[in-house]
Amino acid sequence: MVEFSNRRFTYTHDHKWPSEEIDVHHIIVRKRNTKGFLVCISAFVLLVNGLLLFLVKDISVGILSWSFFLTAILIKLMFWKSVVKESVVVMPAFGVQLETHYVSGRIARRFVPIGKILKPVLLECVTPITCYWSLSLILRGEADLMLVFKELHPPMKMLVPIWKALCIACGSEESSDTSIKDG
Amino acid sequence: MADHKKHIILMVSDFFYPNFGGVENHIYYLSQCLLKLGHKVVVMTHAYGNRTGVRYMTGGLKVYYVPWRPFLMQNTLPTFYGTLPIIRTILIREKISLVHGHQAFSTLCHEALMHARTMGYKVVFTDHSLYGFADVGSIHMNKVLQFTLADVSQAICVSHTSKENTVLRSGLPPEKVFVIPNAVDTAMFKPGPERPLGNEIVIVVISRLVYRKGADLLVEVIPEVCHLYPNVRFVVGGDGPKRVRLEEMREKHSLQDRVEMLGAVPHARVQSVLISGHIFLNSSLTEAFCIAILEAASCGLLTVSTRVGGVPEVLPDDMIVLAEPDPGDMVLAIRKAISLLPKIDPQVMHERMKKLYTWHDVAKRTEIVYNRALKCPNQNLLERLSRYLSCGAWAGKLFCLVMIIDVLLLRLVQLWQPEEDIEEVPEFTVSNNHQD
Repeated sequence: MVEFSNRRFTYTHDHKWPSEEIDVHHIIVRKRNTKGFLVCISAFVLLVNGLLLFLVKDISVGILSWSFFLTAILIKLMFWKSVVKESVVVMPAFGVQLETHYVSGRIARRFVPIGKILKPVLLECVTPITCYWSLSLILRGEADLMLVFKELHPPMKMLVPIWKALCIACGSEESSDTSIKDG
Repeated sequence: MADHKKHIILMVSDFFYPNFGGVENHIYYLSQCLLKLGHKVVVMTHAYGNRTGVRYMTGGLKVYYVPWRPFLMQNTLPTFYGTLPIIRTILIREKISLVHGHQAFSTLCHEALMHARTMGYKVVFTDHSLYGFADVGSIHMNKVLQFTLADVSQAICVSHTSKENTVLRSGLPPEKVFVIPNAVDTAMFKPGPERPLGNEIVIVVISRLVYRKGADLLVEVIPEVCHLYPNVRFVVGGDGPKRVRLEEMREKHSLQDRVEMLGAVPHARVQSVLISGHIFLNSSLTEAFCIAILEAASCGLLTVSTRVGGVPEVLPDDMIVLAEPDPGDMVLAIRKAISLLPKIDPQVMHERMKKLYTWHDVAKRTEIVYNRALKCPNQNLLERLSRYLSCGAWAGKLFCLVMIIDVLLLRLVQLWQPEEDIEEVPEFTVSNNHQD
């Protein structure tokens, strides 16, 4: 089992039992207390505010229930979509399963048959505020690329071993120059 | 040895390929020649339609098409601080040593230079245009330029007239401003194998048909020349709001067979249009340099042009006939050019242009400016603020406030995304498989 970390993510690579053929790569989000702390503070402020209004100002139960409701929504928004880890399960001659594990326990799975994958590529993505590396799959008969990691943006050193494993599984040559050429 | 240090340069402008124009060509060719000199060049511009993200061009030129949509005249919306996170990310991940902004019109350029200075990078600015001093637009533009240039390491202008204009507008010390003219890709603009035969003289006009380019002058000059010389024919390439006036003139004087309107000419077709003529006519009312004249001369055409801006500096006297921006004077200049035509050898002219204007020379001279910029001493925030404060009674205070907010926002962005979270891009070399 291979494992290394940075400030935000931990990368683990193991082989699934009983068959050593199945290759599993995990990108695990390291615990960051800041987010949880901010959510707790916000929820606490909302609840205390509601209680104070209810007790001191003698305002209806409606306001108190609203503060409870807003707190619940806030917690759900912060934790329901929060990702614990994303995994890539490489099954040679069969396909690739992409998994997203949420804090709530929900797991979103996507399966891509090996025959549909034309080539895995490492690309630089640019958003209006940042740039990051992403691992994508070029699929046969589809114009759009499929992102391997839908929610997380792990660093390149964590993406390279996964990209290499996907290249081997798909039988495509490892080529570092994966960007579109223009001009 | 310090002068031979290789730089990693970030070129920033709202104007770049797939858009075509003087600034776009300048950035592209300069970048290509700097790459050949061993420097690394990265271009940052806004997205053009579906062209977003990172693209690679010839020679490994890396271009960031940031998904900010243009809102007016190919310019991004001026947000002051909206571009700070992406500019910071690019500067760190590409290990940039110097930022080079192009064109005073470009909001992205101004913002990038501001953020780069806040982060402590050395910056160079190239001005490609001339501006007035009287109208509201120019007054506003000059104040913005004064703000940007108050803190640049070095500035470049494309002509001495342009330098004078920039120094007057921005209050920049003249010793900080260098003059590096534009160049022409002589391999692309070659004369035809044969000179256009026959008794006919073809005068070519290629420009945007707008007021600034003197389209109204053409309306008066063309009928007069056609009346004087029955063997003269005009080929007009370009489009714009003034095209209607030219069409009306053609109808009014029944010149349909002698004035050919081509409409918008793609850059790849400009050479084929130029080599069909003998004389190139430029009627601009304001011009910092005018690359079109160079392209025409490189194709072996004798040029007739208005004596405006930096135009008199562009070509040697025997390659150009200058006139005042007045219809009568322009007709006289065309008459003189027609009499000079037998002495013109397109091939000789092309060979001279090859020696006079090369992008390699422009790149070498720009490299000297970069070396000087990197030797400029670092200044602390107070020293920088004092320079902004001297920009005007009210404007100075406003500029200081803008910069203080920028510094505070930078600290905030550093907390949100620490430098160690930004990955530096790996180095890679481009292999040239094709033979030149």
